[in-house]
Amino acid sequence: MNILADLASTITMGIMLGGLYALVALGLSIVFGVMRLINVAHGDLLLLASYLALTLMTYLGLDPIIGLVIVIPALFFIGFVVQKYLLNRAFTISMEAPLIIAFGISIVLQNVFQILWSPLSRGLTTSYTLKSFSIGALNLPLVYLLDFFVGVIVMIFLHQFLHRTYLGKAINAASQDRRAAHLMGINTKQVYAFAFAIAMAIAAIAGVFVGLTFPFTPQSGVSFLIIAFGVVVLGGLGSIAGTFVGGLVMGLAQTLGGYFLGTNAQMLIAYLIVIVLLATRPQGLFGR
Amino acid sequence: MYGKKTPLLAIVVAIIILILLPLIRVPQTWILYLFVFCIYVALANMWNFLAGYCGLISLCQPAFIGLGGYTLAISTWLGWPLYLGVIVGALVAALFAVIISIPVFRLSGIYFAIGTIVLPEILRILFLMWRPVGGALYGKGAGYPVKGATAVSANETYWMALIVGIGSILVMRYVLRSNLGLALATIRDNEGTAASSGVNVFKLKVYFLVISALVTGLAGAVFYISQGFIEPTSAFSVKWTMTLMLATVIGGISIEYGPIVGSVIVVILHFLLARYAGFSMLIQGIILIFIMIAAPKGILGALQKTRTSWSLHKILHSSLKP
Repeated sequence: MNILADLASTITMGIMLGGLYALVALGLSIVFGVMRLINVAHGDLLLLASYLALTLMTYLGLDPIIGLVIVIPALFFIGFVVQKYLLNRAFTISMEAPLIIAFGISIVLQNVFQILWSPLSRGLTTSYTLKSFSIGALNLPLVYLLDFFVGVIVMIFLHQFLHRTYLGKAINAASQDRRAAHLMGINTKQVYAFAFAIAMAIAAIAGVFVGLTFPFTPQSGVSFLIIAFGVVVLGGLGSIAGTFVGGLVMGLAQTLGGYFLGTNAQMLIAYLIVIVLLATRPQGLFGR
Repeated sequence: MYGKKTPLLAIVVAIIILILLPLIRVPQTWILYLFVFCIYVALANMWNFLAGYCGLISLCQPAFIGLGGYTLAISTWLGWPLYLGVIVGALVAALFAVIISIPVFRLSGIYFAIGTIVLPEILRILFLMWRPVGGALYGKGAGYPVKGATAVSANETYWMALIVGIGSILVMRYVLRSNLGLALATIRDNEGTAASSGVNVFKLKVYFLVISALVTGLAGAVFYISQGFIEPTSAFSVKWTMTLMLATVIGGISIEYGPIVGSVIVVILHFLLARYAGFSMLIQGIILIFIMIAAPKGILGALQKTRTSWSLHKILHSSLKP
């Protein structure tokens, strides 16, 4: 009975974590879908949001969730600038240039974190991070529930945004056929900058909730990058629903891996899934 | 550099000087700088080989370096001779390249980079959890000393590195001028056309990855003889990728001798920045981004460009005059 309850709570936690992982992956998915760029700095940009929230919390006493009011615009702005002044230019240079620049950004950020916030492990600890709630016999951390709902809400918003607003439609058009979109009078460079900015705004939300859920170090970025990539490959590109399913699979893999093989193996399982998936179904679980 | 007769004599003389340097009692620090330079040349050459000529931005070079180093360290614990350990280290790295080629080449182009970023992470965690030899004090996070490394003189490791560095240049030269190199050029220009005219693209890419892994593993093993100690976090660190990428980009990516020029600068940079340990990587990252934007083909590329525009200028002038 006890083992069963343990397993049930592990699975529930995995599903709820899935919402967070889908959120982590959305930004990567948008940038890839629109610009065909694997943003290897995604995890580090996400961590930048975690660190900003940490700073707001320690110096202004701002709750991380309220701090989003500042963190989201900050990341939106950074994303816009990075795309407009670095990556847009890099796209005209060569295929490899944007990737190498993204790698450079990743290294720069990691070291900025290390210098400003020390290499120690940090976390966004608030009054509610340690609270838990019960469903029947299950006792679950409250933050995981928050993660799940925020993930779902952001996905719904993004879906509406991409289908109903001009900018959303322009992003969609540019991702489907850049030249056609250009000929239809869409300023694709501007659209790229906005797409990257929106991806970073979502990464900001993801970063704050990651910080509320897990401890993080300056080097944590790469693990979130790989998780995000796993989610994208699992779910296939351009599909928000697919991203959600991918998130659930990665979340479950991590909690179940931790449950059966110990916490050390948690990340290992997630990474191995990525590699096995690449070897067997590179088009994603639902791709043809 | 191309088409012209290479001043063979000058190169031979330079190599002989490099070989004889330790014997004429130059300061030990010079030998150390040159050792690091040779290792960087090998690493950067092998990355340029993949990134610049095959269009494969590999982020898993630390996996090959770490595997080379770890195989060497473990083999010394098993009582094998040091040189055997170095060679087996390179072979293990190459074998690893064969195994990973199935997942990483299933996806074309852009996916390759991210597929490869996972590999050093996996190896790092594995080596943090795994203790193949040794007692409770060694292995896992604590790492291994390379047994017998202290008995090897700095000169000896320098010569080994020199062989690996020059070897990597010769490998590049030989492969790029062989039939493989021709096939490579066709893949880079148009993969579809290459495949339809009988080039086995997958097989070729595997060859190139294996060659790159072999030499990189060799360089890693030699580096860890001089280091005398290996542990998972630094062995599979992204810092390696940064170093070899920076060396290639500074010198000129897709240019055969770019990594050699770049390595000179990166070695100088590393020793200059060593005092500011915390800021070293930050500054290198900024330089990488800056060069990629300002001079995408690096120093040699910029030189070639000015030379071409200069000769073009001359031709135009001479043709305009009667």
